This record gives sequence, structure tokens and C-alpha cells, in this order.
Amino acid sequence: MSKQMTEMLKGTLEGIVLAILSVQPEYGYEITARLREMGFSDIAEGTIYALLVRIEQRGLVVVEKVPSEKGPPRKVYSLNDQGQAYLEEFWQTWRFLNERLDQLQKGGR
Amino acid sequence: MFISKFIAKVIGEKGQWRQYKARAQQLPPSYRTAIQALERYLMYFGMGGDGTAIYADLVDLFEQSAANRTPIRQIVGEDPVEFIETFVRNYPKGQWIIRERERLTHALARAEAEEAKGS
Repeated sequence: MSKQMTEMLKGTLEGIVLAILSVQPEYGYEITARLREMGFSDIAEGTIYALLVRIEQRGLVVVEKVPSEKGPPRKVYSLNDQGQAYLEEFWQTWRFLNERLDQLQKGGR
Repeated sequence: MFISKFIAKVIGEKGQWRQYKARAQQLPPSYRTAIQALERYLMYFGMGGDGTAIYADLVDLFEQSAANRTPIRQIVGEDPVEFIETFVRNYPKGQWIIRERERLTHALARAEAEEAKGS
């Protein structure tokens, strides 16, 4: 993944993770795996973890601890109403940005 | 009442810290090396040795990663400094930097007010 890609991803990763969680509840490791499948090949586990800590503190997700067969219990994250609202706002912002950049690329105003 | 609360808090924090240290000690050697390096960095950041949730959360991450056999590089990414600084931003409590940020914000607001008066 290029440096530029990493930089651009920073601003959108939160929305991407919330979008993943809006489909179904997941735990951290699964989220990273899903991002890798999507082609974001070298996203660090810790980056996602820090992001999950943040969205938990901001009350966008519900966290459930589920025992696992290997290692410590897993935290499973699911989106709550506040998270859903935040995700809506993210998509709106994204559409706006996307449109403007498209216009710029086409040379319009 | 107030004093006993304070003592309970300090002892609680010490307990949390000891718990963290014990858990970090149990990690496989490479994970232990990594978490100790991050711990050292946090000390210099002004978040050393207290009971903030950051250490519990960090060791959670490393225990999970060790269980999944996630390579160190895949945990902290290419830039460990960036990783820990992003991480630390989630834990404002007990950080001297918070006071400085407030001071800066207020000073700039004061400058703005002075500007408005001057013109």
C-alpha cells in the first residue's frame, strides 16, 4: 500500500469500520481480515484496535465480551443508534467529497 | 471519606499497574519486547505507571495478537511512533498535554479578544 493511500485512508477508516459493523457485529481480528480481503493489504491490527477503542469511548458501538477457545475473551462490536447516525453523516460527507473531486478531475467547477 | 476515597484510588491504580506488568511478563518474548518498548515510550509521554486504561488495553491487544500469532509488524504497522501516538490520543486522562492544549486554546482566544478591542 502506498504512502499516499495510507494517508488518505486515515480520514476515512472510521467510516469504513462503522460501515463494516453496520452489516453485522464483528471482533477486531475479523475486521482487519475483511479489510485485507478488500485490498487494504497492510493495515495494522493496532490501527484498527486503536480505532475501536475510540469509537467505543465515543459511544458509537456496543461491546460484548465473548469467551474464545484460544486466548483471552474477544470483544465483539456492534453498531448502536448513535453509530448508525454517525455512519449516515459519514456517507453524506463522502458523497460530497466524492462529487467535488470528480468535478475537479473532469476539469469542471 | 475523601481521604479514604483517594487511598482506594491510588491502591486501585497500583493494583491495575501490577496486573498489567504481570500480564506483559506472560507474553511470548517478541511480544514482550514490543510492549515494553511501547511502555517506555509512554513513560516519556507522561503516562507512565499509572492506572489509566491504556496499559490494560495495550496488553489486551498483545495477548490477542499472540493468541492469533499476528506478527509484530502487523500489530504496530510500519511506523510504531505513529501507532502509539494515535493510540495515546484515546486517553486524555492524566496527561499534562491536555492542560497545555487548553492553555494554548485560551491564549489564542485572548489574543483574538485583544485584537477585537484594538480595532
